[in-house]
Amino acid sequence: MARMAHPQAMQPARPPRTRTARPKAPDYLRPRMLSYLLFDATGIVYLLAGLVVLRAVFALASGPAAWQAFVADLHHPGYVAFHLLTFVSAVFVGVRFFRLFPKAQPARIGPLRPPPRPLIHAMLYAVWIAVTAFVVAAMVGVIP
Amino acid sequence: MRKLLLQLEPVIWLLFGQGILIGTLLLTGWGLVLGVLLPLGMVPEEALSYDRALRVGGSLLGRLVLLGLAALPLWKEAHHLRSLSIDFGGAERDVWIAPLLYAIAALGSLLALVAVFRIPFPG
Repeated sequence: MARMAHPQAMQPARPPRTRTARPKAPDYLRPRMLSYLLFDATGIVYLLAGLVVLRAVFALASGPAAWQAFVADLHHPGYVAFHLLTFVSAVFVGVRFFRLFPKAQPARIGPLRPPPRPLIHAMLYAVWIAVTAFVVAAMVGVIP
Repeated sequence: MRKLLLQLEPVIWLLFGQGILIGTLLLTGWGLVLGVLLPLGMVPEEALSYDRALRVGGSLLGRLVLLGLAALPLWKEAHHLRSLSIDFGGAERDVWIAPLLYAIAALGSLLALVAVFRIPFPG
């Protein structure tokens, strides 16, 4: 009867060269990298937008004078430009994130399978449009 | 600190996920009204009056929406700026950048909670 093989009998005498690529700085100017960095950089816009909403809530809590001062500031070109940037950033984040979202779903949750990816994608857009319409209606006075 | 961040990671990811999803859903309308419709003169003066803002913002749903609009984007900001910091500066400085960004988000969320509770109930 043959003797049992040593568990590491097939191991090469010298460790082979690693097949992983050497670490190097990313090429920041590649379109995919730029798009990824821009996606992360929208965090700055989200931070400032959150602070503006925080100011709105504090103004609402402080009374009519503080609220009127806040509303007057909203007409300032700087505020308008910033909110336009907020809108563009939110659309950019939404389009990119909702494209990734269906791919990040688990293949199976217990006995259930998630709906097909295009359906998840369509549902996200439907919810996005509905919530945006609701917020706009509430802010412009369509909802009394 | 690194160990604490790892322990808090499920909570941080939950808030980040809601920040990017709900924050984006809500901020699109907010930005559309104040960045496009307002300068085009499509928002009536009465719609932004204090009484109406109090009626809409002081309701339970209004408070929830305002809390989400103020607090959740801060968590998206914290996580993405942390990621940006690692991409440009390496992981070494993450030891102090990550706690700083999450502390800003936590403080902002706390302030938003306080502010939402301070809104008077519409009469």
